[in-house]
Amino acid sequence: MAQEMIEGINPTRMELLKLKQREKLAVKGHSLLKEKRNALIMEFFNILDRVKGSREKVADNLKEAYDDLTAAQIAMGDLAVKKAAMSVKKSVDIDVDSRSVMGVVVPVMDYDIRKRTIVERGYGFMDTSVKLDDAASKFEESMALIIELGEIEKTITLLAVEIESTKRRVNALEHIIIPRLQNTVKYIEMRLEEMDRENFVRLKMIKKTMSEGEA
Amino acid sequence: MTSKIAVIADQDTVTGFMLGGIKEGYPVENTEEAGAKLEDLVREDYSVIITTEKIGDELREKIVTLTSERALPMIIEIPDKTGSIERETDPLRELIKRVIGVEMVK
Repeated sequence: MAQEMIEGINPTRMELLKLKQREKLAVKGHSLLKEKRNALIMEFFNILDRVKGSREKVADNLKEAYDDLTAAQIAMGDLAVKKAAMSVKKSVDIDVDSRSVMGVVVPVMDYDIRKRTIVERGYGFMDTSVKLDDAASKFEESMALIIELGEIEKTITLLAVEIESTKRRVNALEHIIIPRLQNTVKYIEMRLEEMDRENFVRLKMIKKTMSEGEA
Repeated sequence: MTSKIAVIADQDTVTGFMLGGIKEGYPVENTEEAGAKLEDLVREDYSVIITTEKIGDELREKIVTLTSERALPMIIEIPDKTGSIERETDPLRELIKRVIGVEMVK
């Protein structure tokens, strides 16, 4: 075991008491942080289940939507599609809330995407194609997926950052700070005992010389 | 309170999302424009910003400084009309690997 310890410490009883106090605190902190890390990792795994395949799902969904959009552009012309898009009414309502996972604030999306009928969308029928309707409904569909994906990915990133720093702190405490404190405590205890013995021997010697002088 | 959502992307993607019901679409031509718009939107407290993977790759640094360690804004990158970019390493997967220490099957 590497005998690393805190430099420049006087081997006194005062210091010993202080160090013991610090060691107690470090051990307590270590176990708390370890608990935090475990809880975070558990949460992380829960989220991982949700992320599975959701990016692919978004990509597939969007691909279909883009295909329909292109078809509509071919049928109606670029400008007409753009015009129709301009006149579509707003249909997405999102509300971002947050929740705290062991002190990490992660977003929670509360969204409301209305599935609308063709009439409700707001563009005219005269100069629009069926493909435009398809494209619009597919984009509406993907929107929900995209927002969910965003929420999950954001949560994962935030949790990951927190897990990393917690891990580092746990390891630092476990492998560096606590052993260092323990070593220093041991060193001081040994020094104090040594001084005790020295003193004892010194007293014995003095007593001996004194009794010899009397005789 | 309803949160604000916007799209920064190429013209076609913006058109598509406007059809889908997002009213605030900002078509951009190049990276500088996208970067400037992104900063504007973040300043105006938009909570969700949808952009394309291409723009995301070009503005990676800016996005990281704007979003990491904060819950909002949420910048979501989606594939554009040409399909998703084939990446050698999925950044999210890398992250998971680094945190857990082993490769997770995704």
